[in-house]
Amino acid sequence: MTSVKDPVPNKPPVWKISAWRSMYPGMWSWVLQRLSALALIVLFPIHVMNPYIDSVRITMLLLVVWHSMHGIKVILTDFGFPDRHQRKLLWVLSAVGVAAFFWLAFMHKEYWRFMS
Amino acid sequence: MNEDAQLSEGTQEKPAQEEPAPEKEAQSQEAPKPPSVRVRIRRGGAAGDPDEHFDEFQVETGPRMTVLDALVAVQSAQEPTLSFRYSCRVGMCGTCALKVNGRPAWACRTRLEGLGDEITLEPLANFPVLSDLAVDMSPFFEKMKRARGWLEPTSLAEKAPALIAPNSRERKRIEPHIECITCGICYASCSIVGHDSDYLGPAALNRAYTLVNDSRDALGLERLLEVCTEDGAWRCHSQYNCTESCPKGISPTGAIKGLKRRAVAGGVKRFAASIFRGRAPGA
Ligand code: SF4
Ligand code: FES
Repeated sequence: MTSVKDPVPNKPPVWKISAWRSMYPGMWSWVLQRLSALALIVLFPIHVMNPYIDSVRITMLLLVVWHSMHGIKVILTDFGFPDRHQRKLLWVLSAVGVAAFFWLAFMHKEYWRFMS
Repeated sequence: MNEDAQLSEGTQEKPAQEEPAPEKEAQSQEAPKPPSVRVRIRRGGAAGDPDEHFDEFQVETGPRMTVLDALVAVQSAQEPTLSFRYSCRVGMCGTCALKVNGRPAWACRTRLEGLGDEITLEPLANFPVLSDLAVDMSPFFEKMKRARGWLEPTSLAEKAPALIAPNSRERKRIEPHIECITCGICYASCSIVGHDSDYLGPAALNRAYTLVNDSRDALGLERLLEVCTEDGAWRCHSQYNCTESCPKGISPTGAIKGLKRRAVAGGVKRFAASIFRGRAPGA
């Protein structure tokens, strides 16, 4: 580090596209999992105070399913799931998550009242 | 490069001038222009330099030409002050890494084909920039040192050549991780390095993993404890940017997960042993 006058690491600011271009699916999976966690922190108290807001319920269902699918990915890879297949694992789990969401949502059709 | 120069200056043009045959002239008019790409290169000193800008160069391309060939062509024919770094030209030394169209890659092994008509070249992220495309690698190698990326031989290994059979579990575990040529691409693509400049980074942890698994190494647990810290393996968030971008096909994420597993297994064992002995864990 001593060899440079100004050792500021070269980091593109987050609002520049180039900061995001080198991101791969695993990174987006992580970003979305974080965002879903933040959204759940906001929605959960609302849900506890008033459990029957259908739009909140369905959004929470989506977020919980999404969050858990990507949590499962991390757990599996932590316990030795081969890394060369991590992308495939990501797509498979995302598909399972979407399917689980629709299945659960149609099991509880009353959630959809807010749509009508 | 040389071939290009010969083609354009020597062999092709002269005969066309000497022979005034109308047919030939017509042919040369019809002949398509040699293919070329526009190369946008980031210029300027350290990051945040007020003079930072992009220069554009038109470079004639040939078959199998690489980004490095284009840079050499620009430097020798158009802009002699352009700074960039390379050495082996064949993907062995790891000095030529830079960002090609936003993604880190080796200049010498990235073909121009398929990159489009306009190519943007920038220095690697997460490193201090020296000039133009050349970055200072010292933070990267400092961290290799911090992770003690060298073998500390056991007394046995010092005396006799070690026997690690190619088919042994040990060898198979280490095998995929020893090919690192310290190019810094994983380090540049890691968002955690960007966020926490003290984080050891994928390459240093990958190196530590090979040594932790090496029976010739004497540091063992000490080494494991040194790299499994807040700024070490536990900082990794399993985003796989390093694994996706490593040109050698190494998975530093896998190595980091291996370190974490070892640390947890060791901790659980010690916990169980202390309970067994009737002592408080850690006492
Ligand atoms: S792990 Fe791969 S990307 Fe990282 S320094 Fe080594 S060769 Fe380069
Ligand atoms: S010049 Fe050696 S790896 Fe590219």
